Amino acid sequence: MATVNMLFRGKFALITKLIVLSGISAILVLLIESALAKKEYTIALFLAASLAALCYTYLSARTVPMKFFLPGLLLLFAFVVAPIVYTVVMSNYNYKTGNIISKQEAITQIKGLGVEPDANGTTFDIVVGKTSTGEYAILASDSPNHVYFVSTATKKTDLLPSQVTLNADGVATAAPNFTVVPEAQLAGNEDYAKINFAYADKYFVSVQGLNVGAVFRQSLKYNPASDTVVNLIDGKIYKDNGRGNYANVNDSADILQPGWRATNWFANYGKLFSDPLVRGPLFRVFIWTVAFAFLTVLSSFAFGLLLALTLNKPMRGRRFYRGVLVLPYAIPSVMSILIWGGMFDTEFGAINHLLGTHIAWFQNASFARTAVILVNLWLAFPYFYLISSGALQAIPSELLEAAAIDGANPRQIFKKITLPLLMQILTPLLIASFAFNFNNFNLIFLLTGGGPKDLLGGQIAGATDILISYTYQIAFGSNTQDLGLASSISVIIFFIIAGISLYGLRKSKVLETFG
Amino acid sequence: MKKWARTNLWRHVISLGMCAFALFPLYLVILSSFSQTGSLQLTSFAPSAISWRNYKLLFNSPAIPYLTWMKNSLVVAGTVAIVSVIVGGASAFAFSRLKFRGKKLGIQLLLLVQMFPAILAIAAVYVIMERVYRFAPRVGLGTQAGLILVYLGGAMGVNIWLLKGFVDSIPIELDEAAKIDGASPVQTYWLIFVPLATPVLAVVALMSFIGTFNEFILARLFLVDMGNRTIAVGLQAFIAGQYSRNWGPFAAGSILASIPIVIIFLSLQKYIIGGLTAGSVKG
Repeated sequence: MATVNMLFRGKFALITKLIVLSGISAILVLLIESALAKKEYTIALFLAASLAALCYTYLSARTVPMKFFLPGLLLLFAFVVAPIVYTVVMSNYNYKTGNIISKQEAITQIKGLGVEPDANGTTFDIVVGKTSTGEYAILASDSPNHVYFVSTATKKTDLLPSQVTLNADGVATAAPNFTVVPEAQLAGNEDYAKINFAYADKYFVSVQGLNVGAVFRQSLKYNPASDTVVNLIDGKIYKDNGRGNYANVNDSADILQPGWRATNWFANYGKLFSDPLVRGPLFRVFIWTVAFAFLTVLSSFAFGLLLALTLNKPMRGRRFYRGVLVLPYAIPSVMSILIWGGMFDTEFGAINHLLGTHIAWFQNASFARTAVILVNLWLAFPYFYLISSGALQAIPSELLEAAAIDGANPRQIFKKITLPLLMQILTPLLIASFAFNFNNFNLIFLLTGGGPKDLLGGQIAGATDILISYTYQIAFGSNTQDLGLASSISVIIFFIIAGISLYGLRKSKVLETFG
Repeated sequence: MKKWARTNLWRHVISLGMCAFALFPLYLVILSSFSQTGSLQLTSFAPSAISWRNYKLLFNSPAIPYLTWMKNSLVVAGTVAIVSVIVGGASAFAFSRLKFRGKKLGIQLLLLVQMFPAILAIAAVYVIMERVYRFAPRVGLGTQAGLILVYLGGAMGVNIWLLKGFVDSIPIELDEAAKIDGASPVQTYWLIFVPLATPVLAVVALMSFIGTFNEFILARLFLVDMGNRTIAVGLQAFIAGQYSRNWGPFAAGSILASIPIVIIFLSLQKYIIGGLTAGSVKG
């Protein structure tokens, strides 16, 4: 015992603890530093709080329960609680394709995009070099017109044809006060490509490759004092519209791209109920989600219970049957769902072959829905068989014997005693299963992909899409990835699932054991 | 004879019918894995010729890094299984055995958190991990390390809840005796609880393993590189798009990947069913 105790008390234990703790702290400090460098303040704050909590908990003698909890708590917080909170936050944001970045990044991009070529699309043959002061410069040639100049970011110096050395194509290759930088040195160095070389008035030359420069002018100008963007060409003024875009003050539909993510309190929720393009599909998807979850639980439970009753009494081959019947439940469902997908294939699928038909199962809403329920029956009936036979065994046999003595026939016994008791035991599990299937993403995504849907018609929701797969489509699947809208649906599903689960828990009386 | 028929015949008919339903896709997959053609076709119920071509493809074709996928799955699922049980076991022990303020509230919050399907917050997880990637490319989006962390967080709720149920069933007299002998809670945990609970911890670890092995959508979102993928993501991408062609190797790959999972499942059946029903049949 003495040697074992050494692991927990004394110098050895202390040193080990300190080494592990300082290792973890070092990693956390590094992460905090780099998070701060990238201005991810929330994440840095969380990491710093974790660091403080770790050091306090494991260096103090007073925090015994915390010593057991902390690692689990931190993981739970970082990857479950924080995403839930963040989902709620995102649901109040205009956060979609075109409004993904921060406002600062958006302004930088607008400045970068706000250039346009001059009316003639003037280009020059250029050579990149440096002036005697080490500044980047270009030596530009318009050989047909014999125009040559050297230009830096600030100054353009016109040159006479006699001042430059021309090559066979009439392109200037050397000029006074200009040193050519060899192309080998330019490769991998993009600094020169970002410079606007002086040309005339509002126009500048931008490098478009190693040997070509084109004339552009700034068309959009950001004014930090008034937080507006001005179009220098037509004089239009764009103001922050409060929803993540600069919009024309005279025409709110005329907005500049890209926008940025901005709060739009409850607008996403409003959209769910008011925007006909969202409301219609959402309602249809919701109805199918409930119908699917209900039908799949009902059918799988019916078959599972039938089997449990069939195999409840000893009979020859019972062990064999049991072994075979749980197989669908044991096989990784990702694989079996994909296999079923192949079996429903129109041309080569085994189902059509077996039935002698030529049905395009996933092209027709009713067939696709039937297939979804059939596949889920295959996946789920073993589970219901297992829990039903467990519940059957839990019913005290005295009750059944007493009823038999009182003269009840088997049918009466089943209807009046077995079934009610069974339902009492299984109801919480059926509710839990309903909640699970409500969010059975894998089945829908892997079997039908939510289809059939009219992709060309821009439809996002398909006939077999359930809420969660529809949400996924909105967030990641379609051309416009709308994380804000998707999050608002997620929040609503949260509440539905919480409601169902709490109802199930009350039925199962788990809460009472510590209530 | 007549009585046997009346009481037992229908039972065999139903059982055999359901067995046929259960086995049909499995038989088809086995058949396809040995066939020369690449589709899930049912040309005949008996194999015409047995070909090992599909199995060989898995291990030889450079287009299918099957062994890498398998290794990735084992690494990800194995790490999640072991770490989540170590971390979750400690929390479960504290919930079950230690006295502290806010315990009841803690258990209720845990119950609430473990009800939420992780997939609902998937967009948020994506955005958060994308941001993490910007300053820590080794644990952010696109990495197995990041995926493992997300899985661990997701596994915590359920695992603590399950393990708490198991810990509750270990007689409290044992650790009370240790306490009288002067053991600290940390010593009680390592010297009394962990040895006693090893079989239970192993079962929960294996269940986590199966669950993680089977996880698809987060893995698909995280693991974009071919060489980074888990078996579920790899095989799915392999048949997506090019429908009838790759079914042969897919069938062979699915069978090989399923065998260990089915073995684990069948040997743990009793505990898994117990775990499934734990918490609800109590009342």
